[in-house]
Amino acid sequence: MPSLKDIKTQINSVVSTKKITTAMKMVAASKLRRSQEKAVAARPYSSRLEEMLSSLASSAASGEGVIKLLTGTGNDQNYVVVPVSADRGLCGGFNSSINRETFKLVKSLEKDGKNVQLMPVGKKSRDFFNRAMKDQIVESFIDLNISNTGYESALQVSNKLQDLYFDGKFDKCILVFNKFKSAISQEVTQQQLIPLDVSESSKEDKKDDNAAKAIYDYEPDEETILKDLLPKNVSIQIFKVLLESDAGEHGARMAAMDNATRNAGEMIDGLTLKYNRTRQAFITKELIEIISGAESI
Amino acid sequence: MTTISFDLVSPENLIFNDEVGMIIVPGKDGDFGVLPGHSKVMSSLRPGRVMVYGEGKNLLKSFFVSGGFAEVNPEKCIVLAESVDEINTLEKSAIEKEIQELEGQETDKVNEQMIIAQAKIDALNSNFYEKI
Repeated sequence: MPSLKDIKTQINSVVSTKKITTAMKMVAASKLRRSQEKAVAARPYSSRLEEMLSSLASSAASGEGVIKLLTGTGNDQNYVVVPVSADRGLCGGFNSSINRETFKLVKSLEKDGKNVQLMPVGKKSRDFFNRAMKDQIVESFIDLNISNTGYESALQVSNKLQDLYFDGKFDKCILVFNKFKSAISQEVTQQQLIPLDVSESSKEDKKDDNAAKAIYDYEPDEETILKDLLPKNVSIQIFKVLLESDAGEHGARMAAMDNATRNAGEMIDGLTLKYNRTRQAFITKELIEIISGAESI
Repeated sequence: MTTISFDLVSPENLIFNDEVGMIIVPGKDGDFGVLPGHSKVMSSLRPGRVMVYGEGKNLLKSFFVSGGFAEVNPEKCIVLAESVDEINTLEKSAIEKEIQELEGQETDKVNEQMIIAQAKIDALNSNFYEKI
């Protein structure tokens, strides 16, 4: 039978673990609120940009220069996959689901005979792919700290991607990230970033302002605007994804820590019961000893 | 119709959103003023000042944008800018220092930054459009 002291130590350690998880939960909750605000604040820009882009996309005729971001290179042999994970752990299945999904995607692309390169964002996916497929990593980004540095850090990723693209290093780029659905649920999502997938965004727009599109004046002209717009759109898409993943991370951590706190509570209850029973058993035993000692005199 | 709704949006947040009397926007081919009822225009911007005026054509606010896009229709004007500073918050000495640091380097990126920094200086020096 464990001594009373052992149980007491165990209870104390679980109590302090519980304190830590409670604190982490509250920190995550307040960070979640902040990054959610950021994500909401970024929405007007990206939705406006998408609208503009979809009304211009039809004017892209030739596949030269920047326009290639829209029309593609005409090949689909070389891929870059960008898994977006968190820099820190303790957030449930948040990181591992990204890594698993990316791993699966890479394997299935390779099975089709494609060349795949990786550009992990976030420490957790960088570490994972450093172990799993080290030679396929072209570049990795860690400590981006999106909620503080903002758009600048999204630009880093976007510039690197575009440099590689215009050097002809790859034909298609796919992002794998956690889409923020609600505070407690995230969905692993794949999004094709390059070439731009206009089919879905333009569909939404066609309904409301198909007629309005035609009468816009363009200054200087449609093609010049489009050339400015396309690289910006890549950056803004990455920015949006990074923000969403950041909010998702805090949400996931909050949920994970909530669970951990609850488990710690249950454990403390169980241990306290055990402690009391053991103590009672000792008392009873001592009483029996005294009584039987007294009887034998 | 005496006012037009004006949005100034940066990637990080919505900076300005109100009904105003007039806006002057630094279009790529030259500045243009937007009054209520302006025809539909989509334009890209060069680095420069976005000036916002009230109903009585009094200057409300002026911003520096480092480029971006403007979309105008009769009821609404939207400026999407990559980075936005209020003109009052810019400091001449800091920008001049930045220019000095950039000088001598010859890459595309530095050139771009140079153009923006120069435009900032120009924006600070000129008092064009301040009274109409």
